[in-house]
Amino acid sequence: MGNKQTVFTHEQLEAYQDCTFFTRKEIMRLFYRYQDLAPQLVPLDYTSCPDVKVPYELIGSMPELKDNPFRQRIAQVFSEDGDGHMTLDNFLDMFSVMSEMAPRDLKAYYAFKIYDFNNDGYICAWDLEQTVTKLTRGELSAEEVSLVCEKVLDEADGDHDGRLSLEDFQNMILRAPDFLSTFHIRI
Amino acid sequence: MTTCAWALCCSPCETPSGVGSQGRDVRCSGSWETHRHPGVSVPRRASRAAALMVDIPRPEPPGGQVRTCRVPSFSGAVPAQLAARDGNTVSPGAMEERPMWEPEAWGSSGVWPAPREGRAGPSLSSVLNELPSAATLRYRGPGVVPWGASEEEEEDGERNIQAITEAAQKELEEALPSRELPWPMQARRAHRQSHARDQVAQGSGSRATLWALRLRRSKEKIKAGLHALQPWAWTLKRIGGQFGAGTESYFSLLRFLLLLNVLASVLQACMTLLPTWLEGPPPGPPGPDASSPCGFYNPNPQGLVTFPTHLFNLLSGEGFLEWSPLFYGFYPPRPHLAVTYLCSVFVIGLLYLLLTLHRSVSGLKQTLLAESGALTSYSHRVFTAWDFGLCGDVHVRLRQRIILYELQVELEEAVVLRQAAVRTLGQQARVWSVRILLNLLVIALLGAAFYGVYWATGAAVGLQEVTLVQQMPLLKLGVDYLPSIFISGVNFLLPPVFKLIAPLEGYTRSHQIVLILLRTVFLRLASLLVLLFSLWNQITCGGQAEAKECKTCGYNYKELPCWETRLGQEMYKLLLFDLLTGVAVMLLIQFPRKLLCGLCPGALGRVVGTQEFQVPDEVLGLIYAQTVVWVGSFFCPLLPLLNTAKFLLLFYLKKFTLFFTCSPASRTFRASTANFFFPLVLLLGLAISAVPVLYSIFLIPPSKLCGPFQGQSSIWASIPESISSLPQAVQNFLFFLGTQAFAVPLLLISSILMAYTLALANSYGRLISELKRQIETEARNKVFLAQRAVALSSANGAL
Repeated sequence: MGNKQTVFTHEQLEAYQDCTFFTRKEIMRLFYRYQDLAPQLVPLDYTSCPDVKVPYELIGSMPELKDNPFRQRIAQVFSEDGDGHMTLDNFLDMFSVMSEMAPRDLKAYYAFKIYDFNNDGYICAWDLEQTVTKLTRGELSAEEVSLVCEKVLDEADGDHDGRLSLEDFQNMILRAPDFLSTFHIRI
Repeated sequence: MTTCAWALCCSPCETPSGVGSQGRDVRCSGSWETHRHPGVSVPRRASRAAALMVDIPRPEPPGGQVRTCRVPSFSGAVPAQLAARDGNTVSPGAMEERPMWEPEAWGSSGVWPAPREGRAGPSLSSVLNELPSAATLRYRGPGVVPWGASEEEEEDGERNIQAITEAAQKELEEALPSRELPWPMQARRAHRQSHARDQVAQGSGSRATLWALRLRRSKEKIKAGLHALQPWAWTLKRIGGQFGAGTESYFSLLRFLLLLNVLASVLQACMTLLPTWLEGPPPGPPGPDASSPCGFYNPNPQGLVTFPTHLFNLLSGEGFLEWSPLFYGFYPPRPHLAVTYLCSVFVIGLLYLLLTLHRSVSGLKQTLLAESGALTSYSHRVFTAWDFGLCGDVHVRLRQRIILYELQVELEEAVVLRQAAVRTLGQQARVWSVRILLNLLVIALLGAAFYGVYWATGAAVGLQEVTLVQQMPLLKLGVDYLPSIFISGVNFLLPPVFKLIAPLEGYTRSHQIVLILLRTVFLRLASLLVLLFSLWNQITCGGQAEAKECKTCGYNYKELPCWETRLGQEMYKLLLFDLLTGVAVMLLIQFPRKLLCGLCPGALGRVVGTQEFQVPDEVLGLIYAQTVVWVGSFFCPLLPLLNTAKFLLLFYLKKFTLFFTCSPASRTFRASTANFFFPLVLLLGLAISAVPVLYSIFLIPPSKLCGPFQGQSSIWASIPESISSLPQAVQNFLFFLGTQAFAVPLLLISSILMAYTLALANSYGRLISELKRQIETEARNKVFLAQRAVALSSANGAL
């Protein structure tokens, strides 16, 4: 891209570089990916910070997200109003957190939000059941699902209130060495 | 069936049809009776919570059997829907309290809400949600609505709490760089600007912070540059996306080993090849009539050499290759060359060690933190098993099937473990006797394999004297390759046998995998050691310096006039045969299988045709190949260069095979195990390879007819000789390093440091369990106090 890009001002690009884990090149590449999703909607000039939201249906059709069973939750968590429609800021945010350079705590925070289906700040048994159902494509029987959820709560619930708070979740993630490599979208 | 933890809410509730529903209230029918009879059909967790909730007066709905578990929709603003509409409670959607306090949930009964609102104060959940810790967690940065709140609802209480938390957050977030804060982009931009402004305000002249910023930026640029330099980054991403992180780790290890070999060959070329030609061209091989007490050495073939013989010489490292820079014997006995040759071994060994350690440390750090798998397997499977980077419907479906299968296996294993716990003495005895028998079988198999390799190595030398063998080049090649054939055969045949034996021992699946891996690693590394032992036996006449053949020259000069070259040739042959085996397996087994799959109909085709990329086997093969190179690179200085070419070829071959013939593995191999276990085995291979090299350097007298160390008492002797030419002070210092007065205190200090670190780790472990217990107590205190607050306020309200 060199220095000849006209999409962002220099300050904007510097701000993006400081506020995400991407380099200049990657930010431009992501911008063009975003623009490709909705070419008529997204202007090629962001120097005036236009307020443009790409609807969820287009975000969810990206090849990186298309087959992910959690794509709705991911889009909801990172979108501004929780409805899945994303501005460029949200888009960059999402891929920055899911990139390989984001630290574990940040990823754990957002993973918690993603798995918290009813947005109550806790992962309760119902959230767990939703997660397990999505993970197994609904092919696990109901008793098995509830058994698994019970075991998860047994293992991870540190303060024994029957649901996972963010601290419980982060404690559990700390002891999961795989987390950083699986909570990672390659783009 | 939804089992809600808090006994307040619905017990049997129809699971909503999925988050895709448009935010409908999902009506579920259930029975209130379960609450009133906590002993009956209430899950364990709920009963514990129910015990805590006993004090709260719970009014009953008028004949109501309907509850809602509200499902958030994504077509509208979620927070607005979730926020409780009644004025008192500011609970951002705690599911459990909605059934009680949602006015609109009760359909027709409009009478219900009013008296309740008048009487009851804040509920338990609302009190808990007002705690500073909860508010902090929902905080999303200055000027941004916190999680779960809506724009319209700006309660005074919330605003106060926001102000408090903002002030508290400011100190915390000062320390973090903007990009690591869990806030949306505009909040982070604002933070960055205020941070920059603060910095500017603090010290516009403070060069230190400015330089720190520039240093950070340039470090990041360098890191990005190094990252960009790594080849095949995109290929690895593709592989990870399609086949998972385990397969990607294999290719990443291959790339790392390639880098090691490239660096080693460059260093080797600088330290051995350059000095060889620096002082004039090296002399030719000694002729056949050179007379010396240690026999004669004639590496060059006599007379006319046929083309097939040339080809076979290429494969076995004899003939024109024997006196070439490829092998040790070629290098002339010049003093400077001797020193650099020896130093190159140590320098390159140090390089290998540092780079491998650097790679293992990060994986080790993560794995050491992990608790034993038994305590966390379910939560890890649910939360960290899903690879978010997977793309492609087929792979996603496959991964879902794998997770399903593994969860089912885990549940089964739990049943098995429970059964095992109640085993009677007789059953336990039976299980243990089976285990002992199977272990004996494994040991017997390993012993037979090792004896085969030992015999083959010994026989290879002996068979080469037979005239029939010498007349037919093909047979000679076969005899030459006898040790390699045996080793490869053993490595090919035994691991599947281990895989068959392991399930019979009655351990859990993860235990089985570890056992299989350990046995395979032992097999591979030990077979190499047996080969080296057999060679040592021949070279030093079984370690007896007084034996007839070894008396005059210290080594078996009749059979092995240049034993270092012979050792180098063996390693060269192992390398080549390994490559040939890999290519042959690919061409003769994997491709036909894939093609057959296309032709065979139905289930048979699928069973025969689905091949999987077995990550552990492939990685152990890589490590074995690298260990061979490590052992051989002293005796065959160009071996790292050959290995570079081999690994390059291997990368493209394996990649092609992967994409063309393999489907993703049905057993996900966790990347964490790969990151921890395999670098450890690599280090083990490095340690094992150091043993024969160091033994040869220090204890076996060098050949008298070839090599840079001719005529010396030992290979190491050239170092003290060259040190004696240095100034006296340096000599004294270097000699001091070799004395016991230095080594023993060093050993003592290292042991003390190790003991200290172990004690520290132990005390940290105890501290952690203590803190965990405290957390649980505090949580109980918190719930108790909140209950009391609710009870008091509702009592006040009633009054």
